[in-house]
Amino acid sequence: MKAASVPMGRFLNYRVAAWGATLIVLGILPWGGISPNLTRLLFTSLVWVITSVAWSLLGGLTGQVSFGFAVFYGLGAYTAAMGINAGLDPLAAFAISGVVAAIASLLIGLPTFRLRGPYFAIATIGVSEAVRVVMTNLSFTGGASGYRIAEHGTFRPLEHYYTALGVAALAVGTSAWVHQSKFGLSLLAVREDEEAAADIGVNPLKTKLLVHLLAATLTGIAGGVYARYAAFIHPDGVFGFQTSVAILLMPIIGGAVTVAGPVIGAFVYGFVQEELVAAFPQFHLLLYGALLIVIILFEPGGVVGWLGKLWAWVKRTRRKSALASVG
Amino acid sequence: MDAADYVNLIVSALLLAGIYAAMSVGMTIVYGVMKIVNLAHAGFLMLGAYFVLELYERLNIDPLLGSVLAFPVFLVAGMLVHWLLVRRVPVSDQPTLASLLLMFGLWLVLQNLGYLIWGNSDRSILTPRTLSSIHFGPITVPTVRLLVFIPAVCSLGLLELVLRKTWYGRAVRALMQNRYAGRLTGIPVEKMARLTFGVGIGFAGAAGGLLAQLYSFSPDFGRGFLLRSFVIIVLGGLESFWGAAAGALVLALVETFSILVLPAGYQPAIAFSLLVVALVLFPGGIAGIFAKKRRWA
Amino acid sequence: MPSLLLVDRLNKYFAGLAALKDVSFEVEEGQICGLIGPNGAGKTTLFSIIAGSVSPSSGLITYSGKDVTRWKSFQAVRAGVARTHQVTRPFRSMTTRQNVEVALHFGRSNARGSDARQVAEILEDVGLGHMADKPAASLCVGDQKRLELARTLAAKPKLLLCDEVCSGLTETEMNGVLELLRRIRERGVTILYVEHNMRAIMSTCDQVVVLNFGQKLTEGPPLKIQNDPAVIEAYLGRTAAA
Repeated sequence: MKAASVPMGRFLNYRVAAWGATLIVLGILPWGGISPNLTRLLFTSLVWVITSVAWSLLGGLTGQVSFGFAVFYGLGAYTAAMGINAGLDPLAAFAISGVVAAIASLLIGLPTFRLRGPYFAIATIGVSEAVRVVMTNLSFTGGASGYRIAEHGTFRPLEHYYTALGVAALAVGTSAWVHQSKFGLSLLAVREDEEAAADIGVNPLKTKLLVHLLAATLTGIAGGVYARYAAFIHPDGVFGFQTSVAILLMPIIGGAVTVAGPVIGAFVYGFVQEELVAAFPQFHLLLYGALLIVIILFEPGGVVGWLGKLWAWVKRTRRKSALASVG
Repeated sequence: MDAADYVNLIVSALLLAGIYAAMSVGMTIVYGVMKIVNLAHAGFLMLGAYFVLELYERLNIDPLLGSVLAFPVFLVAGMLVHWLLVRRVPVSDQPTLASLLLMFGLWLVLQNLGYLIWGNSDRSILTPRTLSSIHFGPITVPTVRLLVFIPAVCSLGLLELVLRKTWYGRAVRALMQNRYAGRLTGIPVEKMARLTFGVGIGFAGAAGGLLAQLYSFSPDFGRGFLLRSFVIIVLGGLESFWGAAAGALVLALVETFSILVLPAGYQPAIAFSLLVVALVLFPGGIAGIFAKKRRWA
Repeated sequence: MPSLLLVDRLNKYFAGLAALKDVSFEVEEGQICGLIGPNGAGKTTLFSIIAGSVSPSSGLITYSGKDVTRWKSFQAVRAGVARTHQVTRPFRSMTTRQNVEVALHFGRSNARGSDARQVAEILEDVGLGHMADKPAASLCVGDQKRLELARTLAAKPKLLLCDEVCSGLTETEMNGVLELLRRIRERGVTILYVEHNMRAIMSTCDQVVVLNFGQKLTEGPPLKIQNDPAVIEAYLGRTAAA
């Protein structure tokens, strides 16, 4: 595994420049006259960037793999939806989504973080599914028929887009900060050896609860942003197991222990899903299942890990040919 | 509700417990010997259901017979899967995330293959038996439930016999207790793992076929039963067969009697909630509690 | 001098088996106290209980007068009790420097600002300055033991629990580590030291506690222990003592 330190010097500047350029490009594109369809695709991908990055902090850096993150996405979605219907300003509604998700993360985390590894993962499935079933039966939120947002005014896709872009940038920035902080080191320590981490002064439970809270908050806000855009949500969608699956597939395939991995995973998923879902409704999941198997067996570092190895191979080959040409 | 109704409910629960136990024993044995949490178990349950369905609809083979036939077929399939995929993942005495994610990926593949092949509409196996009931005095039992219960319990009994009396069974029990020691005493661990995984998948396929006669199913079939299997295993202790049987009984009873107090829509949530509660309160399962009582003597 | 650490009638059972039975002793401030005994005597169990990784079945442990019987290990670290591990547990996904950084940040000092300088000092102290940016996984055993010590030092301990820091080391490496321990003691750190190597024990410890089969056999200054027939019998058997 790579050490989670920010490399100094030129490489750091390249990274900042790359992120900055990406942000600028994404910021300009919708104005530059791209099709509404492409805007929609980018929007969806940006929402996935938020959940991907959030999940990677908990599942990648801290090693607590949750199979039930849809619970925060759904709670955020319904909270924002109800808030907006009650007249709240959307940004305020999103903030409350975050808070609700944060509280839920504490309630869920306290009992489940006593479990290790796979048991924790299974428990998260149980929690998320239980909430989904409850929401399906709850009549004041519409139950199985779903919940509609009645927002006044015209539908302005750019407003949704830039909201998503803003939150996504916030998420990536947070992730970058965590990755180079002492907090991030403590997450790696807990992931690798919880007992040894405790032996040097890290409180494992508190650490897990903290990162869980951070991840849940971001995911809740993402749910809110999505809900406002979609204007109609239902439990099988936002609380569904397939949503939890999507949320975890993206960062794992992209590279869960990096900053860029989840972002790459999110964009790839967002675009590929669009193309494939139209043709074969379930094919994208089949593909991702196979991809997951390949990644677990051959490249646990995901796409970023694979790119890293590719880059190292390129450098080695260049050095060899340079030496050969000298000699 | 009178006494006869209560008895009916209990009988219902008992019959359900039998099939639940058969469904989860495949996961227990794989977990016990290899410490792998087999999420793909759900996929094989589903494939078992479709296997029996196809045999019934195309070849007119009775679903009960089909379920029995499923066992050897899925045993071989399981061994193949182990040889192709599972053996490449590091195993230890603790369950690993890598194996969890690998099996999850496999489940995704199986489930979506199911969608590709059979579409996403619900299917059922309807035989003349499906709608009939048998009456034992005041007790009414749907025929299918009784008929499905019998092979389930027989297979469990057979497994218990194998575990107690054969060399393979003793080796399995040894590995469940201590993998390294097993290796040291000459047990061919990798071959055992392959065979055991096959047995686990064999049970999954057969159980899927039995379950298909009780419920309608789609490629998403396995998921609810997967979680139920987890509840059972966790309730019963992750490494004890009798514990798993006890867990199956508890779950079946709770589910059956919950209809009296909860609206039907909430029923699936019971298994999920029970799972979380069980994991948190009883990390060692019911069997673990009993073991604890001995420990601090 | 008042005792820094008091262990009183400590018991630990694992599934009915007594790993520790009625163990009592005291460690005075500023001492280097050795803990010896044959394999299986319960030394590491005792360590783990004092350090907070494991909770005892019954008994009392006090640290600076406070009851700390059931504290967790991270609480122990915050209070100034840090331990090394017999089988080293470096964080392999980090560099040597980062291992110490985490310990520094979450230990007692909760240092800010001058972190980098403190980390560099600690690494120099244990002799790992030149390996600071290498991945911890690439360190040899001797250096991993030094890293364990570095991590404990980062927590600015008052009581240091050393678990077999000399096992697996060459003669030269061992001398270096013992020298380091003496330097640490000179700074006012009390050390409780589990060790198999008799030369290490005899040359560094002020007092020695001997465990056998989970019970305290005897305690006293090193020379007395060395010549105690009961101790010799515990290690070598009856005929050797005769």
